[in-house]
Amino acid sequence: MSSPVVSSRESTTPPSSAWVRFLRSYGPTPNNLTLFDEFVTDALSKAKVQPIVLGSPMLDEIKKRVDSGIPGSILIAGTAGDGKTYHCRGLWMHLGGVDKDWTSKTPIKELKLSDGRVAVFVKDLSELNDEQSDKALTLLERSVGGEETEEFLVVAANHGQILERLRDIGKRQNRIHPLRKPIQDTFLQHGVAPEGLAIFDLSRTTRRESLSEVLHAVAGHPEWENCTRCELQAGGRVCPIYENRTRALGERDGGLFARRLGEIVEVSRLNGWHLPVRDLLALASNIILGHSNPKEAKEGLMACSDVAKIQEKGSIENASIYGNVFGSNLPTRRAMSRPVFRALASFGIGTETTNASDGLMVYGNDDPKLVQAFNRLLLSDPIYGATPGYLASLQRYLEGEETARVDNGAHEFLTRLIAQRYRFFFTTQDDERDYPYWMMTAFQFAGDYLEMVSALSENKPISEAIRARLVRGLNRVMTGLLIENNDKLFVASSGGFTQSRISVLCDTEVPARRTGGVGMRIKLDPIAERPALDVSLAAGEGNSASFLLSPVRFEFLCRVADGTLPGSFSNECLEDMLAFKAKLLRKAEVMRANRTSEDDEPSPDDGTLTLNFIEIETNGHGFSRPVTVRIGA
Amino acid sequence: MTQKIEGVDFAVDEHIWGHRLYDEQLPHLAVLEFLGVLGSNVEHPLRAGPNDRVRYRPQRQIRLRGLLFNNPYVESIREKAISDEDKWQQWSERFAMDAAQLGDGDIAYLRKIFNNFEDFAKAIELLRSSSFEAKSNKRWSSKFVFPFGPDALYEDLRIDADGVASNDRRFFARTGELLYLMLSRAKRGPELGDQLVRRLFDSTSSMNRLVKALQGSTQHAGDYRDVGYLPHVTHPRFDRLCDDWLAILSRNMPVYDALEHMIASAGLNLLLYFLECGKKQSGDAEPVEIICEIVSRERTKVRALSGESYQSNQALSVRAVRAKVESIKMTNEWLLAAQSQDPNGNCAELLRSWFQWPPADGVDDGDSANSTGDQLTKTLADKAESRHEQHFGKIHAAWSRAIGLSSRRLSRRTRYAPNDRLLKTLVVTMVDDRMQFDEFLSEMRLRYGFVIGDTEGIRLVNEKLVDQEALSENRGNLETRLVGLGLVRRLSDSCSFVENPFITEGDF
Repeated sequence: MSSPVVSSRESTTPPSSAWVRFLRSYGPTPNNLTLFDEFVTDALSKAKVQPIVLGSPMLDEIKKRVDSGIPGSILIAGTAGDGKTYHCRGLWMHLGGVDKDWTSKTPIKELKLSDGRVAVFVKDLSELNDEQSDKALTLLERSVGGEETEEFLVVAANHGQILERLRDIGKRQNRIHPLRKPIQDTFLQHGVAPEGLAIFDLSRTTRRESLSEVLHAVAGHPEWENCTRCELQAGGRVCPIYENRTRALGERDGGLFARRLGEIVEVSRLNGWHLPVRDLLALASNIILGHSNPKEAKEGLMACSDVAKIQEKGSIENASIYGNVFGSNLPTRRAMSRPVFRALASFGIGTETTNASDGLMVYGNDDPKLVQAFNRLLLSDPIYGATPGYLASLQRYLEGEETARVDNGAHEFLTRLIAQRYRFFFTTQDDERDYPYWMMTAFQFAGDYLEMVSALSENKPISEAIRARLVRGLNRVMTGLLIENNDKLFVASSGGFTQSRISVLCDTEVPARRTGGVGMRIKLDPIAERPALDVSLAAGEGNSASFLLSPVRFEFLCRVADGTLPGSFSNECLEDMLAFKAKLLRKAEVMRANRTSEDDEPSPDDGTLTLNFIEIETNGHGFSRPVTVRIGA
Repeated sequence: MTQKIEGVDFAVDEHIWGHRLYDEQLPHLAVLEFLGVLGSNVEHPLRAGPNDRVRYRPQRQIRLRGLLFNNPYVESIREKAISDEDKWQQWSERFAMDAAQLGDGDIAYLRKIFNNFEDFAKAIELLRSSSFEAKSNKRWSSKFVFPFGPDALYEDLRIDADGVASNDRRFFARTGELLYLMLSRAKRGPELGDQLVRRLFDSTSSMNRLVKALQGSTQHAGDYRDVGYLPHVTHPRFDRLCDDWLAILSRNMPVYDALEHMIASAGLNLLLYFLECGKKQSGDAEPVEIICEIVSRERTKVRALSGESYQSNQALSVRAVRAKVESIKMTNEWLLAAQSQDPNGNCAELLRSWFQWPPADGVDDGDSANSTGDQLTKTLADKAESRHEQHFGKIHAAWSRAIGLSSRRLSRRTRYAPNDRLLKTLVVTMVDDRMQFDEFLSEMRLRYGFVIGDTEGIRLVNEKLVDQEALSENRGNLETRLVGLGLVRRLSDSCSFVENPFITEGDF
């Protein structure tokens, strides 16, 4: 295979060309590759490079299940890019299937197994027409029910697809399909699959380790060895592709970049974002190959053949790995069409900043108080930090040249400033006191959140400061008042609708730390795998309500604790919290009703009514003051 | 059709919709009036058959209302740096001045109830904060405290300069009475009645006891009165409303929250009843359609469509009125009357028996004795249309705005754009646990005629009124909106579930 020679200076093709071109095909190009697995297999054979190998623990599980001979069918579910086809094919090959048969056009394929059973493969349910789909689903039902033991189904489908098909077949047969609800419940983790059906939900399998595994498989791939022989790196020249790859691998910064990236991906995951494997691969590819000038790198992704020109033009800094993480090298629309870039964009890195950080970047070079930090944090990186281009642009910006006064004249420097903010997030050390890295994001308290999660998972107590902040935030949302209490929780109402913003009547007070079965406890919810606030109004079962803490909700409570008005941060979080408040009030209502009905004999009505009003002292400390009203008999 | 309505010049609207639905009686006022009727019938709630006579004696609770809404002095006196005794003294002097005509000069009982003036002021403030329209500039006798329990209910009154109180039917115009009749005629009416009594008429609830303390002994209206007239013995909308209320009451939320949703639900169902009866009367067999725009930043074709849908529904009722009057001409009796010896007289007689017009004594504008049947019919239709514009004709606009269904946001004219509150009520009502998003949309169409997505709006697409993509985007906007309200969980691309947060036990 030949690669076009771009520059007349180069007489040989760069040694890693084929590998880089292969890697590029994983990147966020404009092509919408729905048949990705087939494409990759194809490209692999053409490129003659070693494939990217990722562990697939699910595949091992699937293989085991089929080998075990347990009767029943297999459902492989997931979203686009989770690897459904990959897993199907893996199983096919494992059971003795031939590649040629796999790539044939028939949507339903049969494979005879060594134990005599026949596995019927449907690698994409959406490819089937109504008749074929009905046939397949009938086989599914029969094999799950145990009526059919010779044949079984292996089907891969999106969550929505399988549920819709089951509903449609149910309509055609005038009944509710018996498998629909159990499958739905399994997807939503509210139930278990029936005996004869093994459901492998690939969208549930991405863990924190998934990203680092992908990054390692890509950045640590053996094909990179070829680069050591490459002309483009000789003589002290910097190849942006290799530079990015080195930074991704973490050899020079002790893995800081990878760690930070892992943290924001983890926070995204805990926020409910699902990042399929294909997206993680696209991210890894973009990180290494991204370049923001489409004239120098086609579609925003570099190939070896582009490097010489980039070096010539001196635009290596446009390949900054830190911007590539957020897809800043791509047109916005293309970037936002991928869940992974949408998820990472929600952190606002690049636009969020602090006065201190911006001050350093803009004035640091000239201010004697800041120059040391400037050297340490910006000048120390001649490739992507304070490069000559950056310094020149900074100078123009500060000097206020004519061009800078024109509309958008400052635009050039501001773009560079954004690039530096990206970089800051990934390069400032953990203990950097003046420039805490989470402050460069919209999730200023994410660090505390991750700390809390790890403390809970190791059964260690969480920090007092974090707990106090949560209680304060909770109180403020519950009562709508700016109270400072972190010793107790006010379950407050306004007498009427519970959704009113200000609630001054204290229904119940519970301690902020659970004692004697009453109060708030922060624990890790085993099913949701997230922390939860569990508020118990009385000892015993059934007297508590739980509130799951995703990073967004945690951030909401912390911001409110620090003074933000609940409505201005996030309406969604406020709604969630008010629903939780309504639940608590309902629990209190029910408890009161039960208590009075449990009395052995009705106590005489002493004719008084006590209302507990919440009042605030000058220091912000809230307390409930009882007001007695004599009703009379 | 022969039910005679008192106190009207003629009866046309009344026979289509009932006597009476009233534009200024917004849904929350209708529900309050309804609770008043229920309050007199707690022994057999919502069990009246179509031919039974339903009576009730509303409460007036003038002392309570005066203290809450005709009492501007509490705040200023509370702030003063004088002794507690002096505060009471000053306040009672000022208050007695206004209250004297109502014979409420004696408020010594308040001193026995509250330890000090501050407590008294706090209690007043608390009750005011949860009342309906407390800050509006309506007359004080039309302000309502939250229906905490039986002692917090009272009827709307007009209190004139001499202190004489009467229900001028300005805000309690019988829509609540019709609501009572509708629910009584629903299949599950008795079940609903029992639940309502159990949960909303608990006199031992603390807020109700507070209200009772302020009121003292209950003040009733003079005597019992009959409720209004509802022409339909059954109607699917009655059952829909009843089922919706039962669903809301079954949710895991405090009953006061449920009340807010019930008010919105009543408003929506009453509005649909109004439109449906109008359509039926005009001979239009198509179900009511409400094309909704989910407000987004860009202006879409759907906005124009939802505006037209609004206009078209707005024009329904007046057409129905004319159709009703004209319909008399299709009957056999009319034919006979027209061919009789005295066509004018007999036609007039027939008209009178249907519509209570022309009046028997013949004293009316013009020479009705010499007018032909057709002329009379035309005159009546004109009069009916003209009167219709005053109140019945405004119901659609007033109520759709009150429940958050219509809006003029970002647009020159009003159109259907449900707000967050209404969407929340819909989810709370319709979703028993969780429902796939497509099912939710289709159910909304079935129950309330809402058209939002491309599946329900396929007719519009086929008629080239809007392209499928615009409706599909509209649908997507709704999904995003509901996610933002915490009501939808996205499982994966194109697979999302609407979840009712007030059902699932345990975690959120």
